[in-house]
Formats: sequence, structure tokens, C-alpha cells
Amino acid sequence: MMSHQQHMAPPSRGSVNGFPHRKLEKESSGRHDNKTNLVRSSSGGLSGAENGIILGHGSHSRDRLIYVLTQLIGHHVDVHVKNGSIISGIFHATNSDKDFGVVLKMAQVIKDGSPKGQRYAADIIKKPETMILPARELVQVFAKDVALGGDELPKGPGHDKRKDLLIDSAISRPHYLEERELERWAPDEGDSECIELEKYDRKGNRSWDQFETNAALFGVKSTFNEEIYTTKLERGPHMRELEKHASRIAREIEGEDTKDIHLAEERGLFLGDDLDHDEEIKYSAVRRDTDNSKYKSFTNVPSSTHHVGSFNRTVNIDPKDSLACSSTMGEESSSYTFDNTDSSAITQARNVSQPKFDDPSNKPFSVGENRLDKKLSKDNNENLDNRKLQPENNQLSAGVRPLISEGLDGPPSSSQPSSSGQGFKSPETPDSTISVKPSVMEPMTSSRRPGSSTSSTSERIAANSVASTPGLSPSSSIGSLTSEKSTLNPNAKEFKLNPNAKSFTPSVSLRPPNPPASDASYYYPNNMPAAPLGPGLPVGMTFPPAYGGQPVMYNPQPGTPPQGYMHPAGPQVRKLYL
Amino acid sequence: MEAGGEEFAIGVVISAKTTLGEEFEGQIVAFDRPSKLLVIHEGVGRAERGERRNVRVLKANYIREFSVVSKGDDPLDPAGCMLDLDAIYAREEAALRQAEIDAERIGVGVTPEAQSIFDALSKTLPVQWDKTDIVVMKEVRVRSPYMPENVSGGTAAANERVKKVIDFERKRLHARVPGLS
Repeated sequence: MMSHQQHMAPPSRGSVNGFPHRKLEKESSGRHDNKTNLVRSSSGGLSGAENGIILGHGSHSRDRLIYVLTQLIGHHVDVHVKNGSIISGIFHATNSDKDFGVVLKMAQVIKDGSPKGQRYAADIIKKPETMILPARELVQVFAKDVALGGDELPKGPGHDKRKDLLIDSAISRPHYLEERELERWAPDEGDSECIELEKYDRKGNRSWDQFETNAALFGVKSTFNEEIYTTKLERGPHMRELEKHASRIAREIEGEDTKDIHLAEERGLFLGDDLDHDEEIKYSAVRRDTDNSKYKSFTNVPSSTHHVGSFNRTVNIDPKDSLACSSTMGEESSSYTFDNTDSSAITQARNVSQPKFDDPSNKPFSVGENRLDKKLSKDNNENLDNRKLQPENNQLSAGVRPLISEGLDGPPSSSQPSSSGQGFKSPETPDSTISVKPSVMEPMTSSRRPGSSTSSTSERIAANSVASTPGLSPSSSIGSLTSEKSTLNPNAKEFKLNPNAKSFTPSVSLRPPNPPASDASYYYPNNMPAAPLGPGLPVGMTFPPAYGGQPVMYNPQPGTPPQGYMHPAGPQVRKLYL
Repeated sequence: MEAGGEEFAIGVVISAKTTLGEEFEGQIVAFDRPSKLLVIHEGVGRAERGERRNVRVLKANYIREFSVVSKGDDPLDPAGCMLDLDAIYAREEAALRQAEIDAERIGVGVTPEAQSIFDALSKTLPVQWDKTDIVVMKEVRVRSPYMPENVSGGTAAANERVKKVIDFERKRLHARVPGLS
């Protein structure tokens, strides 16, 4: 950037096509002498701002001229000269000290006004060259599309000018317009036609038969046979029994207590008003860490911010995972949570479970966080210590819990990535403590807010935890399993204990901080889910049974979940790291 | 030759004719009496940031006649005229680079027909000028008058291909502009 020199044009060296070098030199030198800041870098304004002295001539009008001419530099211009010729080129310089002769680069005569040049100039094309046009020849300099008001700022589309054309990148810029208040949709007056689609009779059957209508309107005979697509109902003597049985099961399921806010809402259960559960948390499809209490047995992810201590029954989820899981956990119904956890952490977690520790929103944490922070930080430290030891023992419960609690407790604070993370860090135990830690490192949460929970967890995990979230994302899926709790993925394959599965013993050596794709499963040594699984382990929250010791699988690639392992449906799945 | 000193006030919109026969209309941005240079931009009113206008810098003595259309405010914001020299030089460099690339595509001393053949070839093949020869893919050479039989060099396949393309392009050009060669 030019400092304070006025610089109408880069100083030219050497003679240029016969134009007296001296003149150009004078141009630059003249400017050097002149301390006026007529033309300054973008920090400056035109003329007179600092001192009213103009370029050696003392006229404000000249300032303007010079401003405009400077803005022309680099533009394609057409210069009309006295004899009628037009030369087109790139405006390079002008002699502002004197009479404003013009220097063009890559210039060509596009219209020859001289008598001998009257034929079509394009017949013989010449190479473009630098041309100097003396002031006395000059008639006009014409330039198209010059931004006299200054060029657009580099940010481009983010600017207000382009309000009408809002592209994604502009919208997602942080400083985009503030949120708008959303209003519930209500049909307009007299807009009853839209109810049409919703016409149902008492039994819940639509009173409109599409096939009938189609046949009537278009004479199309339908070949639709419902039974191709669904199981044929045997309407026989056993019908009533079967129906009863089915409804009973349905009632059972629907009446289940759940901590998952979505399910709860559906079923009409009141979960207790958590810290700002804004619309997003309530209705978004993103799985978030829910309460700690929702730890599913296998979410050992201590990292999960929410649950401190709730869950570990299941897997040896990596603390990091837990973080990820925890996110999901929070939302999950607590049925799966580790209600029995006796670790203090857990209790605490329970208390705090209510608040959502969603990473994304961070709002819930505002309240809970404070509470948790205090509680947890202290506990975390304790827990951490405990945990550290635990894993070594490969006691699932022990190890898991501490880890989880760690994660849980920690997470609450961690939910606020920055703050929580910090808090967590301190208590974080060194890598050495937990063998499993390393794996956990990867930010589990990944899926959602890499920064928030994962960072916290990872930190907790200490040693290996690589704060990087990248790893976790895939793992989050696994985590989600755990944290998801019952709500994890109702459709996932049910976990069936496979007694023949290989058992896993975690290796003592810590895993390198960057576990590969989160998909790796992290199994807590020795503790296999079978026992600790909580009462409400949801279907699908299966944990591969094989992991008594060695983690069964280590999947660096996001793809291949272990058999029987419910593949994380969502980002919350925690990855198990070997 | 109109000096028009007093009338050339900033902000005034004028309609003028030059001695070279050009007519235009625009708003006065600046007028420098000593050099007699009048700066006019098309369009009325201050240009916003990034808004582009056509600009004329005209020597006032070449104005044959003019009339005032309207009076307006200063089109330049005295406090807001910033010159981002870095950006300006960057623009110049980019323009020069592009101009050089474009210049490469123009044959010097070649006929317009040759140039159109070159342009047509360059749509699908990498071509360069070598004096008045077209060099395709750096190996196949097409000499004047750029007929299929003037194609030489390169592998048999490349050679064939260039011949075909030239043939095709010529036909196309002839169909469009029957007079062209």
C-alpha cells in the first residue's frame, strides 16, 4: 500500500515511446515533493481533508479531476484525439502536474481518423502497445462502468445494496439481519378449502377415495392392491384378540415415560420446563445432547455435556463420545438414563439433567450451566480422578461412570464451549489416566457443534483429547446411540447380545490423539452392556455384546458399524474408539 | 469553442455536442479551468459505492454547443472520495494480464478470415499464432490460406482432426457469411 505518497500512477522508468522521460519523472518527483495528501490510500479522503493544498496548483477543481482520473487507472478507455482517431487501451497514467497527457497500455488504434488511415483499421491488426497521448492531441477520454463512488467493499454481496439478491453466503454471514419473530401460521379467513385434505370421519378414515375420484374424473381404473404393500389383515376369529393385543402394546409404548422432549410432547407428557427451550430445540430434527440423566447405558461419553454421570452403563464410550452422546442424551427420555447411578456425579447430573445442554443453542446452559458449573467443577475434579482410575480397571460400571460423569458434569459447563471447556480442562486428567481416553478424544459431538461439547469433552479427556472436533462427528453417531437413550433410534436394529462375539480388552497404550473417523467404536473395556443396561434400554440401543474387553471394532471409516450395533442414525452416535 | 466557464458548475446536467460530431448528456462532476478539462458522468445523482457510471473527460474547447438540462447536487461526496490505491493497481494488473491473453489470440497481420478460423478452432482446440500460421496443439501447423490442404505436421490422428475441424469451420463460416472468402 502506498503510504503517503500521492501516486497517480506507478512511476514509469525509461522513456516511453519517445515521450520525454523527464516529464514523467517530473510527474512523480513533483508528487514526491508535494506533501499534499490529495490522493491517499483508502484511509484518506480527497483533498483538503488534511491540508488544503492541492497538487501544486491550489485548485479544488483540480482535486476532483485528479480523483476521477485516478479512479480510471486500470480501466479500459477510449481516447479520442484531435484528428478523429480513437485509441483504445488501459488507462495507465496521466501527467497531473502539467496538462494531463495520457499514457495508455495495451493500446490500439481502433478508429483511424487520419486521411491515410481511412480504410477499415481492423484490416491490419497490430499488436497492442503502450501509447502516450500528449495533451494537445487530447479531445476526450471515455471510460465505461467506472465506480466514482468507490468500489464495492471486498465483502461484496453482504452489502445492503444487494438486499434483493440474498445468496446463501450472505445470509449465513454472522452479521446478517437479526432474527425475526416467528409467528404461528394461521389460515386466512375464508380459506376453508385447505381443510379439504384433512377431512376425516370419526374413525379416522378419509372420506375421500383417491381411486374413486380418479376413476370418476378420468376413467382410470386403478390396479392398486393394498395388500401388496402391507400385511394382509386376517379378519378372522382371532381378530379381536390380536387387535387388543396390538393396542395394548401400542398403549404401553406410547405411554412410556420419556425424557425426550419430542416424544414427551407427542405423548402429552410434561417434562418440566427447561431453560429456554426455544423453538429450535423443541422442534428441530437435530439431535441434541439432552439431560445427563438420559445416559443410555452405552454412552459413556463423558464428554457429553449434559449428563454427568448418568449413564455409563453401557458402553465404554469415549468421554468424547459421551459428549456427543450427551448432546443427544439430553433430549432423550430419561428412561434409559442411568437412574441408578450412584456416583455423585450422576446425581448431580440428574439434577442438572433438566436443563438442556444443547450445544447448539447454548441457551439452556445459561441457567443450568451456572448450577452445574459449580457443582460439577468440583465434582468433575473428583470424578475425573475417579474416572481416571476406573478405566484402567476396565470396569465398565466404574470406568464408565466416572467417565461419563466426567463427561456429563463437565459438559454442562462445556456446553458453553468456551467456558465449560475451560473449566473442564483443569480437572481434566492427564492422558495417562484413562486408557480409553485417547479414543474419546475425538470430539464426539461432532455432529452438532463441534466446538461446544466436544471441545469440552475432549479437553476432559485430556491427553489425547484432541480438541478437534472433526473426529467426533462420525463418532457422534455412536454416541448418539448411547446418549440418544431410548429415543436414539427406535427403528434401529435391536441389540442382541452375542455371546460369541469377540471380547475386547482395551490396550493400555493410549491412542493417538486423533482417532480417525468418528465411526470407530469405542468400547469400554470389560463392561459390556448386558449387565448395566438400564431398565428402559430402548430397542435399538444395542450395544454390541462382544465387548467384554477388547472393543470389537474399530472403525476408522464412517461406515461399518459392528454387527448388532445399532448404527447411529444421527449425528449423535458416539463413536467408539479402539 | 465554448469556454463556458461560468456555466460549467458542478452538478449541472448538460446536453452537448462536440466538434467531432459526438453527442452526449451527463452531469458535471468537475471542471478544471486551467486545463479546460470537464468531467462528466452519465446518469444523475451521486453514485453509490460500487455503482458504475460511464465517465467522460472532455476538453471543453471541443464542445461545439451545449445546453443546461437541469441543476443538481454535487455528484461527488467530498468527504467520501477515497482512493484505494492497492485496489486500483491490482485492477490495472489484472486488466493488463487479461489484455495480454486476449492479444495472444489475435494474429498480427492476418486477414479477418484467418482470425475467424483461428477463433473457431480455439473453441475446441488449443491454438496459438506463429506469425501468420496457426499452430494447433503445438504440433499441427496451418498455413495461409488455411485450407485443409495447408494442414501439416503432428500425428496422423491430430492432423486428420485438424483438417476436419478446418473443413467444418470453413463450411460453417461460409454458410453464415457467404462473402467470406
